[in-house]
Parts: sequence; C-alpha cells; structure tokens
Amino acid sequence: MPTEGDLADDGGGHAVKGKLLTGNAAAASAARLARVDYIPAYPITPQTEIIETIADWVREGTMDAKFVQLESEHSMMTAAGTASLAGARVFTATSSQGLLYAMEMLYNVSGWRAPMVLVNVSRALAAPIVLEPDHNDVLAARDSGFIQLHSETCQEVADMVLLAYRVAEDSRVMLPAIVNLDGFYLSFTRERVVLPDQKGVDSFLPPYQPPHPLRASQPVAKGTAVMEGFVYSYFKYNMHAAAVRAKKVFSEAARDYKELFGRDYGPVEGYRLDDAEYVIVMSNSFTTLGRQAVNRMRERGVPAGLLKLRMVRPFPTEEVVALLKGRKAAAVFDQNLSPGSGGILFPEVAASMYHVRDRPQTILPVVGGLGGKQLTSDEMTSIFEEMIAVNSGSKPLAPMFLMRSEEMAKVKRAVALAEGGS
Amino acid sequence: MMLRVRFHGRGGQGAKTASRILGDAAFNDGYYSQDFPIYGAERRGAPVAAFTRFSDGEITERGFIFSPDIVGVMDDSLIDDPLANPFAGLRKGGCAVVNTTKRSDALLADRKDATIIAVDLTGMALKMLGKAVLSSGIAAAVARVAGIGESQFLAAVAEELREVGLSEEMVRKNVELAMAVYGQLAPLELRTEELPTKLELVPLAVVVSGEGMEDVTRTGNSAVRHTGNWRTFKPVIDYEKCTDCMICYAYCPESAMSVREDGRVAIDYDNCKGCMICLTECPLRAISQTMEGGTR
Ligand code: SF4
Ligand code: SF4
Repeated sequence: MPTEGDLADDGGGHAVKGKLLTGNAAAASAARLARVDYIPAYPITPQTEIIETIADWVREGTMDAKFVQLESEHSMMTAAGTASLAGARVFTATSSQGLLYAMEMLYNVSGWRAPMVLVNVSRALAAPIVLEPDHNDVLAARDSGFIQLHSETCQEVADMVLLAYRVAEDSRVMLPAIVNLDGFYLSFTRERVVLPDQKGVDSFLPPYQPPHPLRASQPVAKGTAVMEGFVYSYFKYNMHAAAVRAKKVFSEAARDYKELFGRDYGPVEGYRLDDAEYVIVMSNSFTTLGRQAVNRMRERGVPAGLLKLRMVRPFPTEEVVALLKGRKAAAVFDQNLSPGSGGILFPEVAASMYHVRDRPQTILPVVGGLGGKQLTSDEMTSIFEEMIAVNSGSKPLAPMFLMRSEEMAKVKRAVALAEGGS
Repeated sequence: MMLRVRFHGRGGQGAKTASRILGDAAFNDGYYSQDFPIYGAERRGAPVAAFTRFSDGEITERGFIFSPDIVGVMDDSLIDDPLANPFAGLRKGGCAVVNTTKRSDALLADRKDATIIAVDLTGMALKMLGKAVLSSGIAAAVARVAGIGESQFLAAVAEELREVGLSEEMVRKNVELAMAVYGQLAPLELRTEELPTKLELVPLAVVVSGEGMEDVTRTGNSAVRHTGNWRTFKPVIDYEKCTDCMICYAYCPESAMSVREDGRVAIDYDNCKGCMICLTECPLRAISQTMEGGTR
C-alpha cells in the first residue's frame, strides 16, 4: 500500500502547495485513495494514461487492487458491474467510442443498482474522427441512470471521484456514477492538485458494505426478467427516485468533504452572480474560459456572471432556478450537438425556468467547442454581447453556432485542396 | 503577473517535455503553473504545440494560448509552415526563442516590437548529447529569459527526463546542456501587450452554405496533402546497388515509391513519411538513411 507520505505530499518546501498532476493522474490518484478493489480496463485515447498509471501502481505494489484488461469496453463494463454487485469497490475509465460500445451495459449496471464509478474522458464522437473533447459522449449516457458529475479542473477530477463513491454507495442512492473530465484540456493538462490525505479519505469513505452481496451460498436476484410493463415501471421509478435523492446525498457528502479537506462543492457553482444580470450556463473545462469572459465583461462595466453545472444527473433544477431567476438574460453554452435540435443542456435549463415567474426574458442557446474547437476570449465575450443585444430587442433570438471567419477559411482551403485545387 | 509560453516543435523533438520541464521549474520556483500539449493522431515529424502558463496567483486560463508572451520554436522549418504559424499572436514586447543557425534579424523582420533570440540548440545538442534532443535546451532558453531560478530549473530538467525514462548518464548530459544554454542568455524584463484582435463570427447559414452534404469526390487526393515534412529521417536509394526488384515499392505503406520513366524506383519525398520500412525490407541494403535537413 502507498504510504501516507507519498499520497499526502504537499510538495514539501514549495511556496505553492500540492503538486502538478494531469487530470488523468488526478483520476488515477483518487481511485487509489478510494482504495478500490478492482479495475477492469480497456484503453482508448485520451483515457489510456489513467489505466496505464493504475496498472503500474498495481504492478509495483503501491496500489492494492486487482487490475484486468478486458477485450472490449462492453466486457469491461460487464465485469465492473458484476464485481460491484459482489461487493467490490470498482473503478474504471473510458472515452468516446468506448463509452458508446459499453452503452448497453451502462443501463444494465444502473438497473442492477451497482454503485461503481466510471471516469469518462470526453472526446468527440466519430464520424468524422477527432481526438479532442465535446460532450456528446458523456451526454449519450445522460439517460442511463448513472449519476453524472462534470469537472472543470484537475483538482475537481480527484475530488469528484471521491464524492462519487460516497454518493453512489449511499444506501439511499445505490446507483453507479460517471465523473467526466475533458480530454486534453484536463486529461493531458498538468496543474496544481492538492490530493487529500489517506487518513482523511478513509474516514470520508469507509469500506463499501453492499446490502445484498452476491455470495455463493446466499442467492440474490438482480436485473431479472420481469416481463410486465408495470413491474418494469416500478423498478424504473425507483431508480428515478434514487437519482433525485442523490442530490441531497451529494450535498451532505460535500459538507463532510469540506470539513475534512476544505474544498466546497455544490451541485452547481455560481461565479460573480451576486448582482449579475447576464449569466452564462456551462459545464466542464471550458468553464474556465467562461469565467475569463465574465471578468472581461465586468471590466467593461457589464454585470456578467456564470453558472456552472457540476452535477448533470440528477439535474439540479432547484439550484438552476434559484440562481437564474430575476436575471435579465441567460445563455446556455452546449459543447455538444443533437443534430436537428441543437444543444442538449439548453432544453433542460429552459424547461427548469418555464414555470418561474421572474425567469430571464432571454435564454440564448449557444453551441461551441465541438471536437475541442478552440475558443478565443473574444468568442466567449461575444456570447454576452449577443445575450445583451437579443435582450434589448436590437437582434432577434437565434441560436449561436460558434465559428470564426479564419477557421472557416481554413476549412475552405482544406476542402479546395481535397477537391484538387491548391 | 502571468507568463504564457507556447512551444512549437515537430513530433519527437520534445515540445511536450519542454513544456513540462518549464511547468515544473516554475512550480519549484514558487509559481502556480500549468502545462498542456496539443497534437493530433500524426506521428513523429508533424507540427505539435505545447503550452506552459505560470503566475504568482491562481491560473484562471486553460487550453490553447492565442497570445503568448514567449514562443519557443524548436525547428526553424516551422516558421514558414502555415499549420504551425509559430509567431501568431506573439504579444508586443514579447520574446521568441528560435533554434536555428540563422541570425536572429533574419527571422522575424516585421516584428520590431518583439525580442528575437536565435540559438543553435541542435548544434549544442549534437555536440553535448550526441543527438538532436531539444527539450532541455529550449526549456533552458525560455526559463532563463523568463527569469526562473537556475537550481529550480535544473532540478526540473532532471525530474522530467527521469520520468520519460532517460538513463542517468543522459539526464546528466541534458542538465549540462541546459546549464550551458541557461548561462548563455540573460533574463528579459518582459512588459507585454496583447495584439489587437478582431472577431468575425461566421453565421451558421454561411458555414453550411448550399444544400446537401459535403463529399469529396476527387480520387487520389491524399497525395496533395504533403506529409513529407513529418520526416525525421530520409531514405536514400543507392542506385549502384539497387536492382529494381520492387520490394520496397510493394512494402511502402504510403505509396511513396514510384517507378521513373527509365524504369528505376524513386521515392516521392513530398509524401514519404520516413518510416524506414523500405530500408528494412530492401534485400540488397540499397537504401540508407540520412537525418533530415533544417534544424533536425
Ligand atoms: S528493395 Fe532495394 S533493391 Fe529492390 S527496388 Fe527497392 S531499393 Fe532497389
Ligand atoms: S521511408 Fe520508405 S517505406 Fe516509409 S514512406 Fe518513405 S519511401 Fe515509403
């Protein structure tokens, strides 16, 4: 087992506490701190570093767990779910196409009420192929019954993995959880992370006690054929209720977490919201760019603010309502696209606000950052400018799909080259 | 105070390692720091970029650096590569460190508002390491210009190079090289200012102009996307030995072997990626390899 010293290393002697870790290393470190028992794995860019790191630790004996590479993500998820039912604390990770390949099993694992934790390293879905992130992968699992926690920083990745176990394994929840982090922008980005100490984690996350573990001598039925819609409905409604309860359980767990480690997490997070009239709603690593845009607008005297969705399932409706009501305008930044509809989170935010009397007059849908498309700070502030223009009536409301002219010129050049021009 | 550094190199030259060395060095020196590489699925030789930010307060930025204070260019053949565009957005009052044998005033004539520093890192690396590994050299140049402390920096070189699995001897040689580069330069008082930018968003209707879908129908067009500049090594046919048996022609995965009018095999250097499969397969050992030109 790792010594407390090496895990709690605060960079001894450094002026800045913590150490530089990639998002992937933060995820692996948190799995080790959670003392997981079993890691079924299958590699895919940009997740691979997580399972390579864990495989190394298991091999060198600094992590006391069983690591197995399966032959696909589908088998990986099956192994994860069944091991979790047997009472193991299970960790695994995937990305993009891997998550889709595992998709059939996600619904099974949640239906079995197996509280394992899956880290998804977001990468846009093929075709066409790209390695960089957007959230169509993780949001394809939106309806699977997994709790979803999305991270903005490498620090949050580590903290969310630990919180995810506490919530998932709570007897009031008993659902699996996904912790999402963006490929490249977190997975390969090193930044300061303060890892919690092992003793603290042990008290925050005691060993998993399955209520009805699969044991050879003690049969228990899980995920059986029910053959009747009303029985099926009964089970699904129970899952829904458990997922809804997960928000309260998360808040309780977050309170304990703050007491132990000092970092405070809610299902959502507001940034400069106090007097904000124009609010951008977003999630994941590009939220950092959103914060910069808020600061730039504030420098120009515009009361701008940001609402970050940390918890995407259950959807934090009450928190969204509380923080958006009374604002002049909001924009929902979706780093995903449902062709034929638009961003996936926009309708969820808009639906949350529909029955609220003093809802923002304008809720602007914005799609951007697909396939990891880089966003300049001007591009981010243009979202606020659009919100203001639409809200003041000087422009009609139309969804924004971000693309800069110089990017479009590059697309045109590439197409011309492919078509035989020069 | 925050400094933003953008490294440009080719896959295999060590841009990512350089960004991490600098990230560690700044962290060791008491700064908040963040580093991040960006690369596609391409292999060695393709243009890559890596980034380091460091600051005396929490860093509230991430991802691509559009307006760097310092750029480190590891290969001067990237200067004219429109995909790399290494000086793009370099701030007024900023600094570019270029690995080159050219003179600094020949490099970026139209940017009198920035400091250009030319260092022959490849030459130094060949002399001191015996190979053109550039990560510690370019990191040393940037760290010195940025005013990062020497001991913290050298510790970072050793730390990172051990992490990528270099032998103790190579680590020691790299530290010596880093010291030499560091000692050659002086810290700069950087007072930088972002270049003015103008945002022009393209509306969706323009992005998707026309109806239907975008299919590329021209055949054989992969040859027009030149991948020859990905090469680190270049295969050269010795026509005295070659019997035109065509084995290399059959094995080349890029179809970069062709037959000349006179019936001899020839390499299409616009597209050869330098994988050296031809060299391995030639039964007569008629293909040899040379290092690519430029700074590689
Ligand atoms: S394999 Fe060697 S001998 Fe045969 S054609 Fe190629 S270069 Fe010439
Ligand atoms: S090195 Fe040889 S086999 Fe490889 S791409 Fe070039 S010509 Fe083809």
